[in-house]
Amino acid sequence: MSGHQFLLELLCEEIPANALAPAAQELATGLTERLRQEGFCEAHCVFSGYTSRRLAVALGGLSAQQPDRSEEVLGPPVRAAFAADGSPTAAALGFARGQGVEVEALRVVEGPRGEVVAVARLIRGEPTPAVLARAVEAAVPSLHFPKNMRWGAGEHTFVRPLHRVVALFGAEALNEVVPLTLFGVRAGGVTLGHRVAHPGAVDLRGISGVGEYRQRLKEAGVVVDPGERQQVLGTTAANLAAQVGCTVRRDEALVAEHVDLLEYPGLVRGAIPVSALVLPEEVLVTTLRHHQKCLVLENEGNVAPYFLAVMDRSDDPRGLVREGNEWVVGARLADAAFFFAQDRRQPLADHARGLARVQFHQKLGSYAEKAGAVAALARWLAVASGAAIRAEEVEAAAALARADLVTGMVGEFPELQGVMGGIYARLDGHPEAVWRAIYDHYRPAGLEGELPAGVLGAVVGVADRLDTLAGIFAVGEIPSGSKDPFALRRAALAVIRLGAEIPLRVDLRAAVERAVAGRARHAAGREVEVIRQLGDFLRERERFYLTSKVGVTGEVADGVLEANWGVVPEDVARARALEAVRQEPVFAQLALTFKRVRNILAKGERGEGEARSLVEPAELALRQALEGVAAEVDRAVGAGDHAAGLRALAALAAPLDRFFVDVMVMCEDPALRQARLALLARLEGVFLRLADLSRLGGATA
Amino acid sequence: MDLQDVILALTRFWGERNCVIQQPYDLEVGAGTMHPETFLRVLGPEPYRVAYVQPSRRPADARFGENPFRFGKHLQLQVILKPSPVDVQDVYLDSLRALGIDPGEHDVRFEEDNWESPTLGAWGVGWQVLLDGMEITQFTYFQQAGGVDLRPIAAELTYGLERIAMFLQRQHDGFAMRWGGGLTYGQVRHRDEVELSRYAFQVADVEVLRRHFQDWEGEARRCLEQKEPLIIPALEAALKMSHLFNLLEARGAISVTERVGLIARVRRQAVGCARAYLAQREALGWPLLAGGVRS
Repeated sequence: MSGHQFLLELLCEEIPANALAPAAQELATGLTERLRQEGFCEAHCVFSGYTSRRLAVALGGLSAQQPDRSEEVLGPPVRAAFAADGSPTAAALGFARGQGVEVEALRVVEGPRGEVVAVARLIRGEPTPAVLARAVEAAVPSLHFPKNMRWGAGEHTFVRPLHRVVALFGAEALNEVVPLTLFGVRAGGVTLGHRVAHPGAVDLRGISGVGEYRQRLKEAGVVVDPGERQQVLGTTAANLAAQVGCTVRRDEALVAEHVDLLEYPGLVRGAIPVSALVLPEEVLVTTLRHHQKCLVLENEGNVAPYFLAVMDRSDDPRGLVREGNEWVVGARLADAAFFFAQDRRQPLADHARGLARVQFHQKLGSYAEKAGAVAALARWLAVASGAAIRAEEVEAAAALARADLVTGMVGEFPELQGVMGGIYARLDGHPEAVWRAIYDHYRPAGLEGELPAGVLGAVVGVADRLDTLAGIFAVGEIPSGSKDPFALRRAALAVIRLGAEIPLRVDLRAAVERAVAGRARHAAGREVEVIRQLGDFLRERERFYLTSKVGVTGEVADGVLEANWGVVPEDVARARALEAVRQEPVFAQLALTFKRVRNILAKGERGEGEARSLVEPAELALRQALEGVAAEVDRAVGAGDHAAGLRALAALAAPLDRFFVDVMVMCEDPALRQARLALLARLEGVFLRLADLSRLGGATA
Repeated sequence: MDLQDVILALTRFWGERNCVIQQPYDLEVGAGTMHPETFLRVLGPEPYRVAYVQPSRRPADARFGENPFRFGKHLQLQVILKPSPVDVQDVYLDSLRALGIDPGEHDVRFEEDNWESPTLGAWGVGWQVLLDGMEITQFTYFQQAGGVDLRPIAAELTYGLERIAMFLQRQHDGFAMRWGGGLTYGQVRHRDEVELSRYAFQVADVEVLRRHFQDWEGEARRCLEQKEPLIIPALEAALKMSHLFNLLEARGAISVTERVGLIARVRRQAVGCARAYLAQREALGWPLLAGGVRS
């Protein structure tokens, strides 16, 4: 008999949205597992739901009575339990007596420390409600929440104060209240409806199951299934938009957040005041979406003069909810319009003068100083990368990139930094390349996220970040562990991403030297060290980029970066090529022999006079093979075909093997030794144009 | 509903629910939380219920009286219910009814918004209450104050009075909002906003402010070092430090690194006051424990 069900509902004060889904999940699995351990092998979750105020779970596959279980009680070791003739000893007799069985009932089992006698004891099942009570009382207080609290007298700790517990058990009808208490609240069969729409009691005793539970709650203004709320929000939003000839701008993250903030999924459409429509679209959207959590409507791709506000109820009979939301949105937009108008009294270039008063960093001076350093670096990057950018546009974009920091709009809406500057520059009549660059130069935000639309934005973005990195490294505030207050890891990763994906063909090692030179005053004689530290830091981020975004293994990334690093698009191409060929058997062999080459050269001697002294056939053969391979690698790298370059190296595998069999590099004759070292050094150089193969699997072992 | 009607209705409402109706603290404070009727009363086992209006100064939020939504000084109505009653959310909804807002006709939501005051060594968890999308109240279960874990727990309700009055009057211009007595908020207060902004942003003498910060720190310490610590004078000194800090920050005189240090100095004095207060009340035998407050 396993046709019994159990329904548990916890009614709390509003639970933080981000905690709900994980808690509902943990409650369902935690209870199911506990019941299975208690012998209910068919226990399973038939429903798991939640609203902003409640967590609910229903389990099926239960029986009226907990199944009987047998448990093995371990006794004394076999050698102590039986005499040589096999007769039971006093120890065995005593154990059997203690367990209330005849000595014949003892069995021999393997215990943790050898064979022991044991007795199988039957444990009678308890009435299921008693087991359920125990399971719930253990599972609920151990739920994990990001932040717990105390309330009232302060003796209990939970995510929010708990008000009611419904715990019902039964077969055809759930009519038995499970006797349990949580945080001083005794379980019952009655819950409450929606706080304001249906504030009364909802008696759930005798319901037939989950279906009726959900139905009763719905009648009381509560949709307890988050999936259903999401669906209703989607349909209602589409309908409300269609009524005014619009569509809803897709925003799954916002809808998902709303689902967790509600008991009932309602929406109301409001109008944006005409006066606010002069605001740039970005400002409208930020105000609506980030500040009021409203859905944006659009008409042929443009923001329409309406919004959708979510409400925790089904209807708005007197229009008060719509009116209230229109008032708030109107107030927010008027506030934004105030700052916009104030900012527009002067051109962005005038705002930029204010940067002299804004400190970038206590030791690194103002943003005005920073703008100067960024401009110099951006000029150099523009030339070094060979990008088609006009010098005066670099100058203008770098000078104005951060000017919006002193505008009222960014003061109030920090998430619009860059975007606002771009908009103001556009309105001031700057060329598209310039305003776009200002608009975009904070992009990308991370490993994902949009890139700048134009190469100038990327150049300014790289320059700004390299200057930040150089400055902060120069004053010794290098990130360590979880401490990265200036988000330098993210800045460095953005530099790598921009290099790889724009792409920018510029050597980051040279760029780092430039950037540190720009902050030389702060490095105070430690430039060489700072350059090394910052180089290592960027290289480490590039390794992260290669493994997580390009998707190569760690040893491939190491092989590529160890050989050579800094021109990111080329590093990426080499990594992809190595990843593609590394499974070919010849590379495993080559990895081992190249490791030998590196070990010999690692002692520091690079040799000389290769041409004069080589004598052995094996070394002459290797030398000859190397001539051909070097030319082929040259050609392949020049053509950007790094895989072909790597395969060309494979031709050295056999001659190199023979060389190590036949030739003693560190021989007595100094001239000969020098020549052999020189040959190997040249060979190493050819390999390292592509990758340090010694990093590949096995070779490092 | 005029602003003063909002104040009167809420004051009457909470007065009828056994709150002491206190008066604003007569010092510059950043929030109603700093009033000793909150900061000290939430400490220790004694029950307490109090409500009061507190003009709250946030010099950095000032806008020269030019922005109709932003004020450097605004009015809060602060309620402390200790211990937090089981039905505190329902009673709160009743207080909205006292303002003529029927929650049954509106969208009322409690969205997570935790509160922390590093200067007071205090934090709590709770919500912002949204009425039709408008934030009208901050609702907090205090967990710690003055670095001390609290037990019992107090519920703090902070109503933003200007916002509520603007919302009820459907008025977008705060200075055009009706205050009462036939006058607008602007007619009563606009000039203060202009002058306080100028002072905070342009005129305040940074050196003088810094010196006073240090002076009041010394006074707070001296008060707490008395054989019988002078808790209220020490707390007042700490509140002055806090306000001076806010002015220095509005003036743009504090760097990011210095900021942390100054906050810690205010907190040290606030924590000292909290400890001394607890010791004093304990020595007095927790006078309000004997049923002094009805809930």
